[in-house]
Amino acid sequence: MSERIYLSGNEAIAYGLIASGVRFLTGYPGTPSSEILPTAQKLKLRYKFKGFIDWAVNEKVALEMAFSASLCKIKSAVTMKQVGLNVAMDAFVNSAYIGPKAGFVVVVADDPGPYSSQTEQDSRIAAYFAKVPVFDPSSVEEAYHFAKKALELSEEFEIPVLLRTTTALSHGKADISIDNLKIEDQFQPNFKEELKNWEKEVSKLAATPKQRYLLHKALNEKLKAISERNKIRYFYEGDILILSSGMVFSYLRELIEEYNLQQKVTLGKVDIPYPLKKENFSKFKRIITVEETAPVIELFLNTEGRRNGIVPSEGELSPEVCENILAKIGLISEKKTVIIPPLKRPSLCPGCGHRIGLFAVKKVFGKKAIYTGDIGCYTLALNFGVTDTVFCMGAGVSFATGMKKVFDLSGKERMVIGIVGDSTFLHSGIPPLIDAYHYRVPILLIILDNETVGMTGNQKTPAHTKSYEGEPLNSVKIENIVKGIGIEFVKVVDSYEYKKTLAVLKGAKSYLLENKKSAVVILKHPCIYTKEGLEKNPKKPVKIVEEKCTGCKYCIVEFECPALIWDKDKEKVLIDKTLCINCGCCIYVCPKKAIIEVKDGACNTW
Amino acid sequence: MELVILGKGGQGVLFFSKILAQIAIEEGESVKATEIKGMAKKGGVVEVQMKIGEGYSPKIKRGSADLVILLSPDLEAYGKTFGEKIFTFSKEEIEKAFKEVPLRYVNTYLMGIFLAKTGIFDINKALKILDEENQKSLLKGYAYVQSQNGDFTKRRD
Ligand code: SF4
Ligand code: SF4
Ligand code: SF4
Repeated sequence: MSERIYLSGNEAIAYGLIASGVRFLTGYPGTPSSEILPTAQKLKLRYKFKGFIDWAVNEKVALEMAFSASLCKIKSAVTMKQVGLNVAMDAFVNSAYIGPKAGFVVVVADDPGPYSSQTEQDSRIAAYFAKVPVFDPSSVEEAYHFAKKALELSEEFEIPVLLRTTTALSHGKADISIDNLKIEDQFQPNFKEELKNWEKEVSKLAATPKQRYLLHKALNEKLKAISERNKIRYFYEGDILILSSGMVFSYLRELIEEYNLQQKVTLGKVDIPYPLKKENFSKFKRIITVEETAPVIELFLNTEGRRNGIVPSEGELSPEVCENILAKIGLISEKKTVIIPPLKRPSLCPGCGHRIGLFAVKKVFGKKAIYTGDIGCYTLALNFGVTDTVFCMGAGVSFATGMKKVFDLSGKERMVIGIVGDSTFLHSGIPPLIDAYHYRVPILLIILDNETVGMTGNQKTPAHTKSYEGEPLNSVKIENIVKGIGIEFVKVVDSYEYKKTLAVLKGAKSYLLENKKSAVVILKHPCIYTKEGLEKNPKKPVKIVEEKCTGCKYCIVEFECPALIWDKDKEKVLIDKTLCINCGCCIYVCPKKAIIEVKDGACNTW
Repeated sequence: MELVILGKGGQGVLFFSKILAQIAIEEGESVKATEIKGMAKKGGVVEVQMKIGEGYSPKIKRGSADLVILLSPDLEAYGKTFGEKIFTFSKEEIEKAFKEVPLRYVNTYLMGIFLAKTGIFDINKALKILDEENQKSLLKGYAYVQSQNGDFTKRRD
């Protein structure tokens, strides 16, 4: 029995993993991968099967936990975004040599474009590098089926399998047919018996270099066997062969039908871009690969594509780009490029605690200080000048440490302030803070603690005391970690308490200058994007006193609350009531005291 | 049919796309869509591209949308890159919606207006997937248009 449901690619992957028996699923949130794990949690709540489905502190830990779970014969999987796989790479490459003992799938979401990532890297290359087979689904339906197939392949060959998705697929939706989830029988873990007899296997699980050579050899044999049965699927019957995988395949298929190229083109679909086997292409006039975002199939099968400039080497291969590629091949006439007007740049939510906190930091340390930022909502503080570098997770701390060390060496006094969110700090900000302390580097580290992973959809952090199932959890206290490292100046303050925050920051500044040691200030305020956060948020409705507003735009430029908008006619600032959450933070911002609290709740609006 | 729905966070873009998808599925059509939410959460641009009964991918090529539903008028230039035919609610319609039904049913009321003016789906299919209160609001919006006897292509201001 099957039913049709309307799912996103990420949801479909979760359904596929759970349907095929995954009972240990972990990961670290990152757009566009973040919805997979919460969907599996919903299924667990609905069907009440046994297992572990929850976030890990970072991708490396996630991959190691999931892989070790598979060694204990429970089907497992791990989810992350493409740059997260870089963090987990050491563990990932090793997992191929050792091989899981039950199905083990690594789900990685790439971000061609990029829409919300530092790089456009292609995880299929990472799969090749690690010698791990990779599935590249072309539709939501395939995402569901390939999740299942990936697990089956992993079980059969005792090899990790990568399931690669992209933003367009992860966030795409379709009504798909899925097997009825019969949880009672199908969903009970069957590992209990096997676990009873779990035996050590030191020669594999703690392999010496000599044994690793043998493991490598065994891995190569598995890959060869998989490549033998990895067949390209052909559509249409022209003498130009276009090879593709992933979502790009679907765009090409649509275009071929739109332009009636069925007699001119054969479209070859590669479900598993690695490991591939050479096929006989002698009947084709030309062979061109169109794939996102790096040449993988192109290199293995030695085809045209990026090497001769037919396929662009950067950016998403959107339907429009694919159309251009067909024109370049000479199949259709050149298309006019559509000029897309830019949309308003993103900014922090109205009322976000990060904004007022970082505004205070800028007030105390000035524009000359170097602000090394990090990955999270607060990256957007670059809009109002409180973030000068954004690199990768945790680099806000290590950049501050490295740069400050250089200024110290040069004898030039320059304040360097690291800015990192709570989950990013726990993810990879702790090791660099150890070095900062150890080498006596006088940086100030601002830890923005909003008690959630805000940017990716408010996932749980290790500070939480309850799991999604209501189970008690130990709450990790960031200030204890910082103190545990040995840092003496550690202060915690709610960023909404503006005056107190200013005092704390001024204290930190004198401490840095006098003691030449690292200091940490934790600015706490819950994310107001969650329903709970918004309900609990203090209310202080504000209004603009029109006569006092000089139209200097200071509040718009230096504070950038989206609810403060410019009235072109009056040349003054207005409050957009539909966006304003009445946090009252802007009261502290206007130098002319034109923004004031209102007791009667009325405010002048858009 | 290829549709694009554009608006800002909180304006009901996702509600609109969900209802339209459900109606289409109810009619036995396949639905493929993509949701693009900007990094800004409140007030950020939300974009849904939807293919009903056609295609292999959820993405719509610029210039080929049959209809662009605009919930935020300042996105018109951006919306037009998807297709020439634009649907927007007039100021009176939005005001009417806020006056006629409680806040949480405003979107359903507007959906009623949309269905009446475009006729792209059978109103009865829409009624089937809604609860009682939503049905009432939908019918009110639908009836409002019939009383005005409007055609959106002529009435755009
Ligand atoms: S989601 Fe939360 S942390 Fe992120 S900008 Fe909005 S309020 Fe701030
Ligand atoms: S509200 Fe204050 S800061 Fe903003 S433009 Fe008016 S005077 Fe300047
Ligand atoms: S009170 Fe001021 S800072 Fe807070 S949301 Fe409204 S306009 Fe923005």
